[in-house]
Amino acid sequence: MSEENWIEVGSTDSIEEEDLIRFDHQDKTFCVYKLTDGFYATDGICTHEAVHLEDGLVMDDEIECPMHQGIFNIKSGEALSPPACEDLKTYPVKVDNDKIFIKID
Amino acid sequence: MKNNIIILGGGQAGIYAAREIRQNDSKSNIKILGEENLLPYERPPLSKDFLLDKKKAEDLYFHSSDVLKNENIEFENISINKVDFENKKLFANNDNVYSYDSLLISTGSENKKLTLDNNLKNDIYYLRNLEEAKKIKEIVSNKNKITIIGGGFIGLEIASSLSQLQKKVIVIEIGNQLMGRVIPKQIADLVQNTHIEHGNEIILNKQIEKITKKNDDYEILLNDNSLIETDFIIAGIGSTPTVKLFENTNLKLDNGIVTNQFCETSIKDVYAAGDVSNFYHPFYERNMRLESYQHAQNHGICAGKNIAGVKTEYTSIPWMWSDQFNLNLQLTGICDEYDEIIERGNDINNGVIYFFLKNNKIRGACGVGVIGKVGRDIRITSKLTEKDTIVDKQILSDQNLKLNKLIQK
Ligand SMILES: Cc1cc2nc3c(=O)[nH]c(=O)nc-3n(C[C@H](O)[C@H](O)[C@H](O)COP(=O)(O)OP(=O)(O)OC[C@H]3O[C@@H](n4cnc5c(N)ncnc54)[C@H](O)[C@@H]3O)c2cc1C
Ligand code: FES
Repeated sequence: MSEENWIEVGSTDSIEEEDLIRFDHQDKTFCVYKLTDGFYATDGICTHEAVHLEDGLVMDDEIECPMHQGIFNIKSGEALSPPACEDLKTYPVKVDNDKIFIKID
Repeated sequence: MKNNIIILGGGQAGIYAAREIRQNDSKSNIKILGEENLLPYERPPLSKDFLLDKKKAEDLYFHSSDVLKNENIEFENISINKVDFENKKLFANNDNVYSYDSLLISTGSENKKLTLDNNLKNDIYYLRNLEEAKKIKEIVSNKNKITIIGGGFIGLEIASSLSQLQKKVIVIEIGNQLMGRVIPKQIADLVQNTHIEHGNEIILNKQIEKITKKNDDYEILLNDNSLIETDFIIAGIGSTPTVKLFENTNLKLDNGIVTNQFCETSIKDVYAAGDVSNFYHPFYERNMRLESYQHAQNHGICAGKNIAGVKTEYTSIPWMWSDQFNLNLQLTGICDEYDEIIERGNDINNGVIYFFLKNNKIRGACGVGVIGKVGRDIRITSKLTEKDTIVDKQILSDQNLKLNKLIQK
């Protein structure tokens, strides 16, 4: 994958710890999270129905969908609790000069 | 020791219980007896995405037959019509007899039927299972003006779906607000406005006097003498626990099967879970019966643990949702025991929540908003309820202040 795939999301202080921000790029939506051990990124839409996870609740390493409480592991994308059963896609994240980048394929 | 465990009722509580038993007990025989010729499936989409064709029947199963096979859980399509608790036997409609060491009853609930004078039984449709959903979907494709009798969750979800299919929909509700008394009037009114904005007609405070068939159409006479003409009628007037099978037995019944916090019934080795059970909730210190997805799942899991010998109290704070048009409504805890109500927000676009407090602690909350807008706060509310602590009412009432702050404290 080429360097161009790293997209700048914003500065590291734009996200509170144990929280997330929504990031839209072209026609896709992502969620970028700040957990105790760093930054992570997933698709921004729940795999159950088309709901933005930006309004969900981040607890430890998990994001809980605001619509039906489907739960995903933020680091692996694994669907942990029904009605969500399809995993959430995750993306690599790097921090450079206090800026967050995610790698979109 | 190897046991015969039978799960009577192959719905949501039943399948979650079966898998939980297997997690804790690799040896026992686990058999689910279900009268629907389908592996356990999700009911919520029946009134929503299934009618809208956004989900197909095969999308609704909780688990594939492979999962059941791998976990050595047997599913048999059979209807049980007699129970002998003394000799631990179940009798099927085809003369099969099933013996059990432990029994879980998870027969769910069934729709109340309208009592009508004339013989219109087969003309009025109800929605509880996939077969009925398929029938409704097929018939409405040729109908235009549809009447829903009953303005509860399921009736309103059907009304929302049919409106999205470009049907003219009329909802007739006997009470003075939609969704019964558990929902605050203000929230019921917001939901009602959304239905009206989408063209649905909502008639409150009216009773059905008579329904008459006119060729292929119907005339509904209301108690104020008004007449409604319609070409299809669906009723959603509430449900009752499926307990007929146990009526002449020793099993203690009272608005469902009475269970304690361990899902145990009044009969040894007989458990009940899901819609059918009127269970003791240790946090609220009272019995309650819930019809909700989250409860069926968690209660099934709890019953599974107890059946497998892992003694576990059921303490889950109730939660349910309803989706109508672009709205998501959520309820947590109980909203009928309070000395104070606090409102958070007043615009449906940002979400509106009513908290029910007793002695300055949250007992429950009900919220509605455009999809995604109330879920996080309702989830935090469930956690706050569980914590049973005195809450800062300023934070509850001010939508600009995040509720997370209350958990961290
Ligand atoms: C249309 C619809 C929409 C819903 N939407 C929502 C929603 O949006 N949100 C929410 O929280 N909840 C919703 N619910 C409620 C939720 O689906 C139920 O609470 C849940 O399915 C209950 O699970 P259960 O296992 O107790 O019963 P069920 O899933 O009803 O399963 C019981 C099973 O037992 C079988 N059975 C009964 N008697 C016998 C017998 N004698 N022999 C063999 N089998 C028998 C039945 O046929 C059935 O298959 C909805 C329900 C319906 C019907
Ligand atoms: S939309 Fe996310 S769990 Fe249903």
